[in-house]
Amino acid sequence: MKMKQLLFGMSVALSAALFSCTTQSNKEEWPAGGINMEATGEPEVAEVTGAPKVPAPVGNRGPKKWIVNLVTTEEEGIIADTIPYTFWTFNHTVPGSFIRIRVGDEVTLNLKNEANSVLPHNIDLHAVTGPGGGAAATTSAPGKETSFTFKALNPGLYVYHCAAPPVPMHIGNGMYGLILVEPEGGLKKVDKEFYIMQGDFYTKKSAIKEGLMEFDNDKAVAEQPDYVLFNGKKGSMLGANMLEAKVGETIRMFVGNGGPNLTSSFHVIGEIFDNVYLEGGTTVSHNIQTTMIPAGGAAIVEFKVEVPGEYVLVDHSLSRAFNKGAIGKLKVTGDANPKVFKASSLTKE
Amino acid sequence: MKYFSVLVLSILALCACKSPAPKQQEALPSNSVFNLTSQWQNQDGDTLQLQDLNGKTLVVVMIYTSCKSACPILVAKMKKIESKISRKDIDKVSLVLVSIDPETDTPEHLKEFAKTNGMDEKQWVFLRSNEEATHELANVLAMKYKKISPIDFSHSNIISVFNPSGVLVSQEEGLEINVDGVANTVAKTVKGS
Amino acid sequence: MKKVSAVIVLGFLSLVCCNKPQEKSFPVANEHHELKKVNTSVKMVYIPGGAYKPFYGADSAWVTVAPFLLDERPVTNKEFLDFVTANPSWRKSKIKSLFSDSTYLHDWPADLELPPNANPNAPVCYVSWFAAKAFANSVGKRLPTLDEWEFVAMADSVSINARSKPGYSDYIISLYLQKNRQFNPVKLSTPNYWGVYNMFDLIWEWTDDFNSILTTSDSRVGEYDDKGLFCAGSATSATDILNYAAFMRFALRTTLRANYTVANLGFRCAKDSIMK
Repeated sequence: MKMKQLLFGMSVALSAALFSCTTQSNKEEWPAGGINMEATGEPEVAEVTGAPKVPAPVGNRGPKKWIVNLVTTEEEGIIADTIPYTFWTFNHTVPGSFIRIRVGDEVTLNLKNEANSVLPHNIDLHAVTGPGGGAAATTSAPGKETSFTFKALNPGLYVYHCAAPPVPMHIGNGMYGLILVEPEGGLKKVDKEFYIMQGDFYTKKSAIKEGLMEFDNDKAVAEQPDYVLFNGKKGSMLGANMLEAKVGETIRMFVGNGGPNLTSSFHVIGEIFDNVYLEGGTTVSHNIQTTMIPAGGAAIVEFKVEVPGEYVLVDHSLSRAFNKGAIGKLKVTGDANPKVFKASSLTKE
Repeated sequence: MKYFSVLVLSILALCACKSPAPKQQEALPSNSVFNLTSQWQNQDGDTLQLQDLNGKTLVVVMIYTSCKSACPILVAKMKKIESKISRKDIDKVSLVLVSIDPETDTPEHLKEFAKTNGMDEKQWVFLRSNEEATHELANVLAMKYKKISPIDFSHSNIISVFNPSGVLVSQEEGLEINVDGVANTVAKTVKGS
Repeated sequence: MKKVSAVIVLGFLSLVCCNKPQEKSFPVANEHHELKKVNTSVKMVYIPGGAYKPFYGADSAWVTVAPFLLDERPVTNKEFLDFVTANPSWRKSKIKSLFSDSTYLHDWPADLELPPNANPNAPVCYVSWFAAKAFANSVGKRLPTLDEWEFVAMADSVSINARSKPGYSDYIISLYLQKNRQFNPVKLSTPNYWGVYNMFDLIWEWTDDFNSILTTSDSRVGEYDDKGLFCAGSATSATDILNYAAFMRFALRTTLRANYTVANLGFRCAKDSIMK
């Protein structure tokens, strides 16, 4: 049992003991989840996507069987400007591929570690109920492939990450992603969906290869990152890479935080989140300015864009945004909406 | 690997009509544990090779008899598995306990242990060898162990089932091993061979 | 470890229980009669041994490594070719699947042919533990124990134990992060204090008792005692959690099975020392 479930269980047990000696198992406190839902049909290979794209919504379908194929890699990429960094990835991207299933689905996850990897890797999916979230079952030596099967019991937006030792290093190099478990009937339809994941990066010069940057353990232990980034790269959502939407559209962002260390104060400058699925769970809060996303946690934020312009996505711990890279943009095009927002064209005397 | 074993097993099952009891002269499957040529001693002090166990379905566990924590549970599991094997099949099965502490677990000691634990019928086989051979077998089983004091070992807990040709059919790890599952595997393996 | 346990056992026997019969070890030595001897010219380095603190183990668990000889460099492609030439059962087309997975000598185009672009003096990779052990036996040696290997790995070029030096672990990690190092020939880099080459800069190496690390491959669980998986779990936690280089080696070892063959995993041989 995972810590969070243990704690949850303890607090539920405690409150039950305190408030109602007669309480029997209560649907609210112990939602049945997907355990009794039967997944049907032959397994199909699931579509997975790199950020900021997400796969198609599950809609109204019943529980099914899926095969999810992930490959773990170690490869040089650009972390900022022209600076190369040795990233470790799921499916060649940081964050790793977005997995989208529904509650009750059965997933066979195949994890292949590339033959030219130096290190073993594995995967711990927070959406999994079972030892290590699959970590021990999927630990793969270079060139080897492992596999395990799980049933998605709880709906929500969950982080997955590599848990091979040293874990902070694997996560610090970019080995994380999101898995969305939609509730029965699916999330309500919106016009645009995006996949965003924050991570903190600790770098130093490689002693071997000139110009190359790599993970700095000391900075990681001190929790002093050089970069705090959305989607693994400075400017991943700036310039030509800005997210785009049109006035009047409803937006849903699946926002995760890989860490390894920092908690994000996620904020969109000039917008108010109409709905936030707090910590990626079932509780929806409304009218939120900034939502907290812990390391190894996620949130779903939804809002409708009413006014054209560029909306800046930040970690509102602002030095991270303006000095370390945790900044992106959503560009909204369309007609001005003076009823909602009107800037005076003249400066006041 | 498991699928491969099953495949091999089913191929063997198909071929089995011709030769119901595999003979020692037949070419061993490439993945048979009988390819190990090490020398072992049983609880009667007889010297043998693993290949001498061929022709029966094998249930194998590696333990040491002076272990106070996990091994007694494993031994109990082995007895439970044994009790679930149909009596008409029992002479087609060997339950093999391999010592990871050959220094202490002499044949006399193993014999004594077998008697004390009611494991003295002929389906029970206790084995020991030297450190190198023990290590090699452990590696075939992907079983980890380490001597951590003069009298104690750390080790992983694995029960393995081999078909009569020495090909691995299944492995269960941990102390919550499902004995019914292992017994079923044994029954199927006996039937298939 | 073998030696060390033996030393401890002997010490224990002589100290605590003198009445314990001495000739309890198994009388029949296993002979590797099926192996043809192969000659090798690699220099072996005398390592005097000493006390060292393993990366995994109880806090106070110092281990004494007995004197031994270690190959000054990993076994090369050329040497392994000689071995399979003399020992047909270890050729690519002949090896028993019990002893190796499907990628044994992966890049070799034929049984007795090195990959066209391979340097004969580069370390041999894609060899299983069984094959490495057979090679060692064929040259009258053995694989080093994990403790022996790690003892030598403590040295940098000027000292026996550089573990506490700032940058020691970091430098090794920088080496580890470079890909395709295994294609470089041996002995081009600086030897360590003992005169041993290529401990970190080319490949991972098999040790005889690689499977003696009793932590699960999920290190976060392995840090805690779990009687459900292992006896005596207290011996399984890391003592030097910031030594990431050692952590990475242990991570790799816990992932391996003896039949695995891996692109950047090779070996070198060791031998008991007759010098005292």
